[in-house]
Amino acid sequence: MPSNPPTDKIDLFRLHRAEYASPKTPRIIETKSARYMAIDGAGSPGGETFQARLEALYGMAYTAKFMSKADGRDYTVSKLEAIYDQAAPDAASIGELPPEAWQWKFLIRVPDFIDDDALDRARAQLREKGKSGDFDDVRVVIIDEGVCVQMLHVGPYEEEGRTMEVMLAFAAEAGLVAHGGHHEIYISDPRRVAPEKLKTILRLPVRPRGDD
Amino acid sequence: MEPKRTETQSDYAARILRVLVHIQQHLDDDPGLEELADVAHFSPFHFHRVFRGMVGESVKQHVRRLRLERAAFHLRQSDRPVTSIAFEAGYEAHEAFSRAFRLVFGASPSQYRARAMAVAPSAPSGSHYVGPDVPVRFTPIPEDRLIMEVLIRNLSPMRVAFVRHTGPYNEVGATWEQLCEWAGRHALFGPNTTLFGACYDDPEVTAPDRIRYDACITVDDTVEAEGEIGIQTIPGGAYATVLHEGPYDNLKDTYAMLYGQWFAQSTHEPGDPPSLEFYLNDPNNTSPEDLQTEVCVRLRS
Repeated sequence: MPSNPPTDKIDLFRLHRAEYASPKTPRIIETKSARYMAIDGAGSPGGETFQARLEALYGMAYTAKFMSKADGRDYTVSKLEAIYDQAAPDAASIGELPPEAWQWKFLIRVPDFIDDDALDRARAQLREKGKSGDFDDVRVVIIDEGVCVQMLHVGPYEEEGRTMEVMLAFAAEAGLVAHGGHHEIYISDPRRVAPEKLKTILRLPVRPRGDD
Repeated sequence: MEPKRTETQSDYAARILRVLVHIQQHLDDDPGLEELADVAHFSPFHFHRVFRGMVGESVKQHVRRLRLERAAFHLRQSDRPVTSIAFEAGYEAHEAFSRAFRLVFGASPSQYRARAMAVAPSAPSGSHYVGPDVPVRFTPIPEDRLIMEVLIRNLSPMRVAFVRHTGPYNEVGATWEQLCEWAGRHALFGPNTTLFGACYDDPEVTAPDRIRYDACITVDDTVEAEGEIGIQTIPGGAYATVLHEGPYDNLKDTYAMLYGQWFAQSTHEPGDPPSLEFYLNDPNNTSPEDLQTEVCVRLRS
């Protein structure tokens, strides 16, 4: 908004700037374990489940934030992230699976004081306001991805494959293989930004080849 | 992108030229913006942005410069005392006149009169005061290039909850806090929630303490007004939209370009306020030069 008031708000995106690096070429980054509010689901992006799960997560994320703010602990609601677990054997082959088979986890990073108790209170508040949704399925999770290859994808979501290929080639060159689902951090608002200009950080957890 | 150099531009240029002539003929009368808007057949709301966009300076700056140029003309062409010329230019104190004169001409009034070195005053549009009976001319800026990318977007009507802010733009932060806190308490944030500002005034025209701005959040039909939180529907339809990159303080330049250049070269006319501002990133974690704002101005249908 058009004002830059000095703020002591916790801003996790800014606090963990190094983990949200968005290089134009692949880069190896080190991530620490991170706390998220999360909800799981399966199906094509934009589908009914996808939308309902997103709504539940947003409802919880903002309700918890404003309850926390009222308690004197304010923080910025972080950007939406997603991990595509996919039933695929490795991250590269997600493109070969039909979208209906995709399994994903939506994530919004939260400060340490957002715990199960805070979630319970947010759920109670949402119900009191007459809201319905999959709020019970929103959980706090800790995710530790360790070493990752990361790169900024600019363009439509459907074209992430080409950026992913660059990242996988880079990983292979460095003697690394992907493990675990690939991670997306949504920087742009797809309702306001043209598809060819959408920015998404892609993150791929990796480990040395042959290291099991 | 609209075709350039259409009849609209020469039409806009003709309307602004009428204003420039009117200003030169009434340099001492301080014609108000409503009067000038009337001369140009623009609504007072849009007139100043078109003027600034095409002439490259505000009406106030233009009038001040022309008065100084007229003073220079008299310094050269007459032997009237400097104080009388200063007074005619709108300066009661000789010092203030000298200072303003030096800024524009790079020389003091007496140096100028003695034909010492002086620079020609810069005028973005090439419009100068060169004498009482010399025809007024100007070149709309920019000559041929249109450096902004404007898209015409069809927006659906949006039902919003809003808080009205009346005052300078740089103080809208508290209004946003109030709106967001209320919306948070009522669990109104979802993945499709949109926040935007609705602007009713041109900060170059309206006094800072009277600028109206609505901080808006989209809501569904079930949400009702409460206390200072109002409900309104922002009209849908075709909007000219442009991406402003940089500090919010510079939004006025983007508006000036949109009105004075794009509208002047398109076949569209700006419609009624409000214009809308969508803030694409968060000023709390973005440096001012990286801020992105989508500006939407409704087209007259």
